[in-house]
Amino acid sequence: VRALLLRLGAAFYAVAEEVGGLAIFAGGVAQRLFPPRLDRFETLRNFYKVGVKSLPIVAVTAAFAGATAVIQSGLYVVRFRAYEVVGWAFGYAVFREIGPLLIGLMFSGRVGANNTAELGTMTVTEQVDALRALAIDPVSYLVLPRLLSMVVMMTLLNTVGDLCALGGGVLTGKYLVGVDHWVFWNSFLEYIRLGDFLNGMVKATCFGLAIGLVSCYFGLSVRGGATAVGRAVNASVVASAVGIFVLDYFITYLLK
Amino acid sequence: VNELVLHVRDQVTGIARTFALTLYYTFRGRLDRRAVLVQMFEIGNRSLFFILVTLAFLGAILNFQTSFQAKRLIGDVSLVGPAELPLLMRNLGPALCGLMVATRVGTGIAAEIGSMVVTEQVDALRMCNAQPVDYLVKPRFIASIVMIPVLSTLGILTAWMAGLLVSVTVFQVNPATYLNFNLVHLSDALEGFTKTLVFGMTIPVIAAHSGFEARGGSEGVGSATTQSVVNASLAVIILDFLIGGIAFVIRAG
Repeated sequence: VRALLLRLGAAFYAVAEEVGGLAIFAGGVAQRLFPPRLDRFETLRNFYKVGVKSLPIVAVTAAFAGATAVIQSGLYVVRFRAYEVVGWAFGYAVFREIGPLLIGLMFSGRVGANNTAELGTMTVTEQVDALRALAIDPVSYLVLPRLLSMVVMMTLLNTVGDLCALGGGVLTGKYLVGVDHWVFWNSFLEYIRLGDFLNGMVKATCFGLAIGLVSCYFGLSVRGGATAVGRAVNASVVASAVGIFVLDYFITYLLK
Repeated sequence: VNELVLHVRDQVTGIARTFALTLYYTFRGRLDRRAVLVQMFEIGNRSLFFILVTLAFLGAILNFQTSFQAKRLIGDVSLVGPAELPLLMRNLGPALCGLMVATRVGTGIAAEIGSMVVTEQVDALRMCNAQPVDYLVKPRFIASIVMIPVLSTLGILTAWMAGLLVSVTVFQVNPATYLNFNLVHLSDALEGFTKTLVFGMTIPVIAAHSGFEARGGSEGVGSATTQSVVNASLAVIILDFLIGGIAFVIRAG
């Protein structure tokens, strides 16, 4: 029992240390926002890297997520012959919940992990210390552009992803479930409000912020060599996933 | 676009080759029981907490969303619990659990094997006439086939119980109404189980493939790990769609 308690305590301390470090890091980032000083070239480079490069993965993920949502609701739709609700079920599930959630998880895997790996390599090879030696603040030079581009791009990618999911859903509905695309479309337009879409967008923006903070923090706090970078990437994706689920819960609760 | 197609083709053929090699060594050669047990601990016990936390939040979110809709449209939330369970078993449980395992375990495998490749430990294995796939991938493959269905079952139960908590505290549903298995069909369980088995086979192979591809120093390990998350998550989502589609055709037709 004592060993178990000790291990529980150690695990609790480890979690508390990460959360505390993250909070201090977030405070540091917030401090650098006033006055905002952004390196324009670095920001644009990150916009390209974060947004354009992850577009294909987000599009594919969203299309399959939309298709899966239609298949899963299709079982009930076929059983009860309720063809006119399929657009509603799809739109509600995907725009509000599954879309932002899956896009967020993919984004964390593609962009967040990449970011941690990059920053971690820079830390391990002492490039971050070199920046400090040149009197360049690593947080405002490295972190702010990344954070900004992740927040903006996650929001935009979510919009594109919703469109792709709609495409995937309509096609699956037509060819697999047997719902005419006009029936789908009418039910979609009838039941889905702008609020559903905006709800998903708020979530996506928050996820972008969380992924950015977590991935930068884990990247900059790497110590050691190549093994440590791999482990940091692992820890960063895990923490991002937990953050996404927890945020999702609270946003869902607040925005009913 | 051309580059993208080539990249996808390279990845798919590479993963298929690793998969074939893993299968070959799984049925041939000796099995190191100790290594399998170590990996089962690593994959199962170590990620249990993470998976339970995320799936519990998923269950709570799912319950909120469906209950709001049910209240608005039908005015009655008593069916939410029983109707949620088949959905969790069939689709959301296995898929989200697969994604979480892909991020937690997949990145771990890729980082471990990647750093072994970079520090030339894998080459050292080859010199000792030990096949890296046989020695490194096989125990992880077997362990994850066993552990992912277990993790997913526990995750689904946790998610459903989190939903019960939300239903009882927020929507004042009687627990006896919620704990109702009437809407669950055997095929729901079968579909979910098939998915978890397939994810259990694919995730370690994809992660190991990304790990073996690591080149260079810490940068190589980092990009191998990133690649493994992307590939494994994408594989989970695509396989979820394919298996779900096949199951739908079987059941509806």
